Amino acid sequence: MKETSIIVCRCEEVTLEQIREAIRQHGCSARETKLRTRAGMGICGGRTCRPLLERLMVPLEGDHASELPLKIQPPVRPVSFAQWGRSL
Amino acid sequence: MNAIYDLIVVGAGPAGLAAAGSAAQAGLKVLLLDEFMKLGGRLLGQLHQEPGGAWWNGIREAELLVLGAQEAGADIATGVSVTGLERTDNNGWTLWTTQGCYRTPFVLLATGAAESANPLPGWTLPGVMSIGAAQVMTNVQRVRVGNRGVVIGMSVLAMAIMSELRLAGIELAAIVLPPGNALSGKDSNPEAVLDSLLRFANLAPNAMLKYGAKFLQNSMLRNLALNLYPKQGIRMLDVPLQLRRCAIEIVGRDAVEGVLVADITPRGEPIAGSERVVEADFVCIAGGLYPLVELAAVAGCPFRYVPELGGHVPVHGENMQTLLPGLYVAGNITGVESAKVAIAQGRVAGLSIAFSAAAEKAPGEAEIKDAMEQVKLTRHEALIQFHPDIARSRAKLYQIEIV
Amino acid sequence: MSYGRIEHHPVLGPLPPAATLSFSFDGNNYKAREGESVAAALLANGVRTLRLHEEHGSPRGIYCNIGHCMECRVTISGITGVRSCLTQVKNGMDVRSGTVLPSPFRQTTEAERSPSL
Repeated sequence: MKETSIIVCRCEEVTLEQIREAIRQHGCSARETKLRTRAGMGICGGRTCRPLLERLMVPLEGDHASELPLKIQPPVRPVSFAQWGRSL
Repeated sequence: MNAIYDLIVVGAGPAGLAAAGSAAQAGLKVLLLDEFMKLGGRLLGQLHQEPGGAWWNGIREAELLVLGAQEAGADIATGVSVTGLERTDNNGWTLWTTQGCYRTPFVLLATGAAESANPLPGWTLPGVMSIGAAQVMTNVQRVRVGNRGVVIGMSVLAMAIMSELRLAGIELAAIVLPPGNALSGKDSNPEAVLDSLLRFANLAPNAMLKYGAKFLQNSMLRNLALNLYPKQGIRMLDVPLQLRRCAIEIVGRDAVEGVLVADITPRGEPIAGSERVVEADFVCIAGGLYPLVELAAVAGCPFRYVPELGGHVPVHGENMQTLLPGLYVAGNITGVESAKVAIAQGRVAGLSIAFSAAAEKAPGEAEIKDAMEQVKLTRHEALIQFHPDIARSRAKLYQIEIV
Repeated sequence: MSYGRIEHHPVLGPLPPAATLSFSFDGNNYKAREGESVAAALLANGVRTLRLHEEHGSPRGIYCNIGHCMECRVTISGITGVRSCLTQVKNGMDVRSGTVLPSPFRQTTEAERSPSL
């Protein structure tokens, strides 16, 4: 299967090969893989690819039972600065 | 800053609607928010025949729940997205939305589930959508998703939605497995897929599905069945179920034009030279569902990874309370199950919150216990068991001490 | 190509009556049924490409249809990033697709970088 042409993160167009290569080369954590490849950092906040990234990364992660492998930050939906400002 | 509500419910699916109704009934001032334009969440798309022959029509079920919540006095707003949730120092919660900011002592997260995918080359092309997207487009928006489709992925959810597409007169060229790769795991293995389908043989949501599954069950010796499984598939609702074929790539220049498929061995390896293109103008990716826990995460909830429930779920008790004071969860955010279970859980959450808030007409402990029993009963009687070990996993989760 | 609507459904019955609205997408005029989403109205009219990926220009359309994936985002009345699957069509709505944006910093490699910067 051509991993080069399988996009995992649709927002940032990051491929399976790029993610696997980052993990292989740097032995990195979920967070580091995200930062290196930008997978899961697009406008959807990782809603589409988060479970996929977890499938690739969980074996390396060890067991942090009470936390999510990839942190979630507010806002959980995109908001404009104007909207954000008005709500404060 | 708006601070008039006792309880804000996020998500107007079956759990949120039921919770808003029972909490408002008990005398709480309730606001129910949803970002979709219609109330009912994923329930809206559901349409299947019950064992007695009656139709479970999600649109009608949602209408009944909405009526219940409205008559009980809950305020409801659609088209509002909740963007953040933070605990304030005076024992309450601040909720940010696209329509302003709220302060409230109680929050119920009923945000449901999101779909996961099995990606393959070409899956970003217009015309490729999640199977849930096709369900909503067909049954809720009543727009044809295309003229001829291919479903990639075989699960009980895929089968249920496939029958809904057929009911609406949408042609499906085939259902095939996803390609084997680091992401698809068991979903691309015919043996594992057949096992998971047979588990549902007696629970299939309509007579045709049941017949199809029974046929498979009777014709095995499993390995024999897999080896003899016809490459062109077994037809169900006029759709070939191709357990021995996988999608390799979705082809098309500006939109879907077809799917490159290949025959596979019983273990899922593609057979060289068997590749061919199935013409299609839409493709449904049927991965699965996972609890949508974003707001629980930003609120600071501890989680447990429970594969039987679909992934990471916020730790909560049988009364639907999380480890954070005033924060409750109900429905698929607590684990992927049927809408009926979500409704029953919503009632528990609504009653527990009313009890905790010492509402005017707060229920007694016995009433909450009854509601919790109702959840178990509903789970036991559910047509679709998303996973065989749900009851056991839940029991284990509820043993975690709530302080 | 036009897909149209599911006028008759064996269980859900005929499509309930709704007012017809007009809206435009990238300057072309289309009809919609009152109450339906922008994404649904466009699909019913045979429009499947809603935007091009900002960087690589690959065409995108509806993916999740319930507001999770952001793939169907469009510009409506000048506001960017609006999810067309969650937005009801209004009469006279001006909907625009997304297109490739300049990425002036993208291709600068270590070797190309000016030492004076």
